[in-house]
Amino acid sequence: MMPDFTDHLKPRYDGTATLQAERAGSNIDVDELAHHLLSRDGFLERQKKVVDVLSRDPLFKKDQQMNLSRPERYHLGLARAKAIQRIVRREGWSHEDYKMCEYVNDEMSPYHLHMTMFVTTVREQGSKEQQAYWMPKILNYDIIGCYAQTELGHGSNVRGLETTAKWDPVKKEFEIHSPYLTASKWWNGAMGRTATHAIVVAQLLLPKKGADSEGYESHGVQTFIIQIRDAKTHQPLDGIVVGDIGPKYGYAPMDNGYMLFDHHRVPKLAMLSRYAEVSDETGAFTRLGHPAVVYGSLTFVRGQIIMHARLVLARAVTVAVRYCTIRRQFRDRDSKSDQDEEMKVLDYPTVQIRILPLLATTFALHYTGELMYNMYNKSRETIEKGDFGPLAELHSASSGLKSLCTMLAADGIETCRRAMGGHGFGGGSGLVGINADYLSKPTVEGDNWMITQQVAAHLIKKMTEAVKDPSAPPKDPTTELFQFYLKNRKHRIPQSVVHNSQIDDKAIVDVFQWRAADLSYRAYQARVVEKKPWTKLMIQLHALSRAYSEQILVTTFYNSFSTTTTSTLSGPTPSVLKTCFRLYALYTLDTFASSFTLTNAVSPDSIPALSDAILDLMTELRPHAVKLVDSWSIPDFLLDSALGRSDGKVYEELYDLAHRRNPLNRVTFNPYWRDEEIVLGSGDGGRGILAKL
Amino acid sequence: MAPTPDWVKQLQPSGPQGHELLAAERACSQIPVEKLSELIHTKEVLDRKQRVLNILKSEKVFDKSQNYFAGRIDRFEAALARAKKLTNLRIKHGWTLDEYRTANELISEPGPYGLHDSMFLVTIDGQGTEEQKEKFLTKAEKYEIIGCYAQTELGHGSNVRGLETTATWDSASKSFIMHSPHLTASKWWIGSLGKTANFAAVMAQLIIDGKSYGPHPFIVQIRDLKTHEALEGVHVGDIGPKFGYNTMDNGFLLFNKVKIPHHSMLARFSRVDPQTNKYIRQGSPSLVYGTLTWVRSTIVMQAGSVLARGVTIATRYAAIRRQFQDRDAPEWEKGENAVLNYTMVQIRLLPLLAATFALHFTGKAMMNLYQENQKKMNAANANTESKRGPGPEELGAGSDSLADLHATSCGLKALSSTIAAEGLEVCRRACGGHGYSSFSGIGSWYADYLPTTTWEGDNYMLTQQVARYLLKSARTVISNPSAAATNDTTAILSNYLKRSEIGCAFDVLSNDTDIVQAFAWRTAFLTFEASKHRDEQKKPWNDLLVDFYRLSRAHSQYMVVKNFHEALESREVSSQIDTPTLGILRKLYRLFALHTLEQEGSEFYASGAVTVKQISLARTNAVMKLLKEIRPHAVRLVDSWAFDDWVLDSSLGREDGKVYEDMFYRASELNPLNRITVDPYPTSSVLFKKVEGEVGRSKL
Ligand SMILES: Cc1cc2nc3c(=O)[nH]c(=O)nc-3n(C[C@H](O)[C@H](O)[C@H](O)COP(=O)(O)OP(=O)(O)OC[C@H]3O[C@@H](n4cnc5c(N)ncnc54)[C@H](O)[C@@H]3O)c2cc1C
Ligand SMILES: Cc1cc2nc3c(=O)[nH]c(=O)nc-3n(C[C@H](O)[C@H](O)[C@H](O)COP(=O)(O)OP(=O)(O)OC[C@H]3O[C@@H](n4cnc5c(N)ncnc54)[C@H](O)[C@@H]3O)c2cc1C
Repeated sequence: MMPDFTDHLKPRYDGTATLQAERAGSNIDVDELAHHLLSRDGFLERQKKVVDVLSRDPLFKKDQQMNLSRPERYHLGLARAKAIQRIVRREGWSHEDYKMCEYVNDEMSPYHLHMTMFVTTVREQGSKEQQAYWMPKILNYDIIGCYAQTELGHGSNVRGLETTAKWDPVKKEFEIHSPYLTASKWWNGAMGRTATHAIVVAQLLLPKKGADSEGYESHGVQTFIIQIRDAKTHQPLDGIVVGDIGPKYGYAPMDNGYMLFDHHRVPKLAMLSRYAEVSDETGAFTRLGHPAVVYGSLTFVRGQIIMHARLVLARAVTVAVRYCTIRRQFRDRDSKSDQDEEMKVLDYPTVQIRILPLLATTFALHYTGELMYNMYNKSRETIEKGDFGPLAELHSASSGLKSLCTMLAADGIETCRRAMGGHGFGGGSGLVGINADYLSKPTVEGDNWMITQQVAAHLIKKMTEAVKDPSAPPKDPTTELFQFYLKNRKHRIPQSVVHNSQIDDKAIVDVFQWRAADLSYRAYQARVVEKKPWTKLMIQLHALSRAYSEQILVTTFYNSFSTTTTSTLSGPTPSVLKTCFRLYALYTLDTFASSFTLTNAVSPDSIPALSDAILDLMTELRPHAVKLVDSWSIPDFLLDSALGRSDGKVYEELYDLAHRRNPLNRVTFNPYWRDEEIVLGSGDGGRGILAKL
Repeated sequence: MAPTPDWVKQLQPSGPQGHELLAAERACSQIPVEKLSELIHTKEVLDRKQRVLNILKSEKVFDKSQNYFAGRIDRFEAALARAKKLTNLRIKHGWTLDEYRTANELISEPGPYGLHDSMFLVTIDGQGTEEQKEKFLTKAEKYEIIGCYAQTELGHGSNVRGLETTATWDSASKSFIMHSPHLTASKWWIGSLGKTANFAAVMAQLIIDGKSYGPHPFIVQIRDLKTHEALEGVHVGDIGPKFGYNTMDNGFLLFNKVKIPHHSMLARFSRVDPQTNKYIRQGSPSLVYGTLTWVRSTIVMQAGSVLARGVTIATRYAAIRRQFQDRDAPEWEKGENAVLNYTMVQIRLLPLLAATFALHFTGKAMMNLYQENQKKMNAANANTESKRGPGPEELGAGSDSLADLHATSCGLKALSSTIAAEGLEVCRRACGGHGYSSFSGIGSWYADYLPTTTWEGDNYMLTQQVARYLLKSARTVISNPSAAATNDTTAILSNYLKRSEIGCAFDVLSNDTDIVQAFAWRTAFLTFEASKHRDEQKKPWNDLLVDFYRLSRAHSQYMVVKNFHEALESREVSSQIDTPTLGILRKLYRLFALHTLEQEGSEFYASGAVTVKQISLARTNAVMKLLKEIRPHAVRLVDSWAFDDWVLDSSLGREDGKVYEDMFYRASELNPLNRITVDPYPTSSVLFKKVEGEVGRSKL
């Protein structure tokens, strides 16, 4: 770029100085809080190590991504996926390091499914021999895998899948077949262009039993490991049609695919047979053992989704908080002097109310994520000992939390983006890509609306038990809560959580728990006692799941204050965290006020006091906002945001991106409609672009 | 990639086919779709759309099939080619302005002539003198000069008075000097500026003799008319890729002491006398507020159909998508359930379906009000002289209808664009996995619509103007409680005051008019609460912003409910539509109102408009019952919005229900990625083994 007069221009207000002043205004020890939040498995050190390497490699420069077409994004995605593998080998990095690479590279890699669902399925569902055969090939990337469950016609309803695997008792083979268009596999990541192998979930068809019966019957869905492309030419094998499903809202570098089979034959060994087997001789189907571990891994995946949700939301909030302290707009309306500077927009309560409760939410998610992590590890041991009891509780909690947390994060990103006005819409916000990519989360790993039914079903069951035997020794906190509820429901006095502008933390926990218990009881009444149709209850059940999950967030956050790790944090940090707890709780309470009053959790007359209490809490939190987001330690490389830069050079970066790094500005167009030419001087009469349509 | 083999071509979706399912949906309702369409759009508009659509479909350049795949530069290049073609067609077919607008609407992507056609022309027309119109407008209308509207800067958007670009009067040369003193003075976000425009209407601080007179509009040439390169001292370009709107070249612009002639300043309302170097104000700028109100009313008007696109797609798809058998279904009942039968899906889609109608009728009412008001103003305006300063919401609050109109348009713009934007995302998510595909047609439409929540007044900012107006009205009513109400706002406020000792009892669950009353009551209650805080307790303005936001929201919701109700009671509607259909529209009204009431329950309760029991009944009984009653009519109701498939550009929303066939066709036949064969192994540095035909290469 040629030098020009704009090279010397400075922004009117200095963003760097603004952030410095913000940081000077709070005594939070950022390093200490960062370690409190993120020290598990050396997360912070690992993040630094990986960012140092990737950010120096030109292939990982992010500033042109948004200009690229879909095929170009995939091209880039594959190049990066390969490069990461080579870096990992070169540096001698671990699997955790590899996962960190994916995290800071921040795009869905075409290898993603290989090292997640593909390898996990083989590991968990393959027999010993199958594992011995496949695992080395997988870990060495001799084959590249994907996970093909969802079809064009079925996603949530796995039992409704249409792809069939028909046993041929003569040849001792399976015939994989797609009888309908809707049987086409669909959405399966890495399958479109990249994978050589797939885990295919299909209906197992076996000859009908009994001497005189004919035809086949289904034994439910089973998993098969199937080669789909030639190892050398990378062309699909005969009888398989496979390709990429096209562009999506986000996930541009990922080749989600479709796949159809035409009576495609695979050997018997293709069926993963740790838990189920077809007999060679008799063609009989046997189940071996309990596949609870499968639920276990699903629960684990959801636990990770929650931990991830916390960081995703933290990222959006980091951008919004930093930018909104640097952005100034209008002098205070009540200001008396012309000389006053314009207000930072983060000082407007209508901006605060959008961002600060979300800042508080990041911490609420954190403590529950920790809880899930611990719960999973605890119950994994008992599962391995053969006791599947705790899994139901865990699985149900994980579904509800997955639904709530991914929704909070997905909606939170968008709220932050909109709170930043016009620049939030720009590519420099850094929230465009993350928004689009993250929006898949409410749907994948269990549709957020669908899976709330599992939570509700579980709670109804628990409530039924509690009603039957209200004084049985409680096995878990939920039963304990329900028993407490049943004892007290006749003489409940609705509470208020604010008394003369004093906030009662115990009462907060009580009202969240009461509401969850009461909604559970109502659901039990409607379904078990009054036998209402399930479909009619769905909305109510969804609300129940949400209330139950919110209760977990609030209770867990509250309990963290009695642990030593939190209470021994230095300076104002413990009390600021308490403010976050209160803000999250009161904000949620205010938003769903009528749900709390209708359940007799709180008294309707106590609701109006909430708005002032919330304003006060936000005022308390405001001076610490920048340091709190600093503690989440999101590196600039990952933020990839002009607005959220840690050094506050918002406008300099926006301008640099627009002026010096924008390929559109290297083209001069011909704007007059009488000339068909589009690019000035090209003389192609507009044919260039027409050829691409 | 190998061509699609025959065995694939012969495959069909399993179970009942999409077109059969939609036919069954259409058979279970008697709604006369065409009649209802005509009520919504009028016959004239429907015919016009069809006429224009036929022309567009026959031109290759408007082919949409690669839109979802292309990169930024190709998207822009195609958009420019389309804009040019459209201008050609306009001449060729002698299109009226309405027809030209219809064409743009049908193409539904922002184009590089967008700001020229709208704000540039409007600004010159509205703020230029006759000579200036002669000089600029004539050429602009012929596209000999192409313009844009450059107000927002890198550092300032909402606060227009804080703009940093200066236009300093140089008495020696009798010209203005345009200058950007800071980086944050750079114009930013300006549509059509980045690559297309050669002129700009620039808002800059007028400075005479060291004194600032606030922002004024200047018509400035920025690029050479032949080479299209930036003029000396002008620095201009595109601001880069965005969340959406990527077919538009939003631009930046900086000036390095650029001299422009005296006639550049648009001088209908104020000018600099070149002889005396004095600033002179003339005429009333309240017409400018008229334009603002018009723009906002248009946004309200469009919100209904913007949302209806998403609702159409999601409703049709949910009627075809079948997932699970009903848990309570008897053994012998085979087949899966359409997801639209799940109340969990209904509660997301049907209130939005109701909202499309609510917003539509509200928009129409707004437009009528605007037009009536323009007539009155033109009559009265001839000799009033008012000062630039506070907006009309403060000047004549409580009495004059312009103030009422202005405030209403602010609040409704905010509410309706929020409902539409958020509703589109709800629709997309309700489609499950396939909603995430570009082929759903919702994602890009949503992304392009999102800036509407920010421009023409940020949706949160605008609520302050509504609150200001309501506060002012409250003062009028409090100071003279017995005076006759001058408009609807003072009427509901004084009614509340009169009855505040007696209280109220609204039968919202069975009486449609009482619903409107309850919404009015809550608005009045919140207004007097705000007035207590601000006027009695003297709380700082900023501390009240959240209350103001809620107040404005309440007021706008009241307006929507009221307008919807009035429309359904009007002769205009009842004469055009049969009684059963009218009955269904009434149900939509109730669904919209009661769903809103239930969501905002605590405010209704706090105001005393309804009891906790009523809220509870609304939630568990009334809304559920309405969902069930409306469900059979859902497909016909969205049909009546009459979107052509070409416009929707959606696999999921196709009128013929061929969802899966179309998804598959686009993925396998139109998708350039499938022309690539890759080398997948990390050890090999080859990325693409084979590429058939032209697909983009990496350009890092
Ligand atoms: C980006 C992305 C990546 C993916 N990657 C993979 C992959 O690698 N491998 C793979 O196999 N799959 C993958 N999927 C598919 C994903 O798992 C499914 O999309 C998901 O399970 C949801 O299913 P669906 O799309 O069929 O939604 P549907 O079930 O069709 O849902 C449609 C709507 O109906 C509602 N609904 C459905 N059933 C009920 C009911 N019983 N009661 C109430 N409401 C109901 C839902 O809430 C939703 O609103 C991916 C999807 C996406 C978006
Ligand atoms: C796609 C697109 C196209 C555009 N096209 C044009 C164009 O052609 N010409 C043009 O001139 N402009 C254009 N704009 C700019 C647009 O008009 C501005 O973005 C808009 O006016 C908002 O201003 P802002 O971005 O400065 O937001 P800001 O004012 O910076 O708002 C940031 C945040 O602060 C809050 N805030 C600000 N002030 C206050 C206050 N006093 N009280 C409480 N909260 C406050 C807002 O609510 C918001 O949450 C365009 C913008 C976009 C996104």
